[in-house]
Amino acid sequence: MVLLENDSFLTELTRLFQKCRTSGSVAITLKKYDGRTKPVPRKGHPVNYEPADNKCLLRASDGKKKISTVVNLQHHVAMKLLMFSALHYNYFLVMQLVHLYLVIKGCPLL
Amino acid sequence: MPYYQTWEEFARAAEKLYLTAPMKVRVVLKYRHCDGNLRIKVTDDAVCLQYKTDQAQDVKKIEKLHGKLMRLMVSKESGAMDTD
Repeated sequence: MVLLENDSFLTELTRLFQKCRTSGSVAITLKKYDGRTKPVPRKGHPVNYEPADNKCLLRASDGKKKISTVVNLQHHVAMKLLMFSALHYNYFLVMQLVHLYLVIKGCPLL
Repeated sequence: MPYYQTWEEFARAAEKLYLTAPMKVRVVLKYRHCDGNLRIKVTDDAVCLQYKTDQAQDVKKIEKLHGKLMRLMVSKESGAMDTD
């Protein structure tokens, strides 16, 4: 799992969408993140991390390649907008092609 | 778990599930370009809520819910959300 900065994550996410155009799927996972960087220690061992309350973890995968990034309070709006604009671009491209095809064929449904 | 038939029911159940267990809940978006559908799953590993769509207007609703859940996760206050 590659941990990236927010802008690198968005670039790689766009590449994942493009790679999965003909087959496959892209899964994006969102989860609240408490700032841990090491596994939970066994009983009796001290817990050594600073708990954070204002972060979330975004992961993306196409089944083979996995990427992730940590999103803070100040960047969450921009991340959401950019992530969904990448999705919209891929989704609506299909819709536009379908519409164009129907126009060319002179479909009575339009 | 079966897929919800209406968006409103799914959104309400998803918000409620997140508020009961914020650290356990994860939101999964799965997009298949070849089939032209988008699925959203909200789960805490015990309860699993799913909704799928191939309609463009539902993508906007999914985006809104995803944004709300992300805002709740990164904000320090935990409050109830307004349902759409």
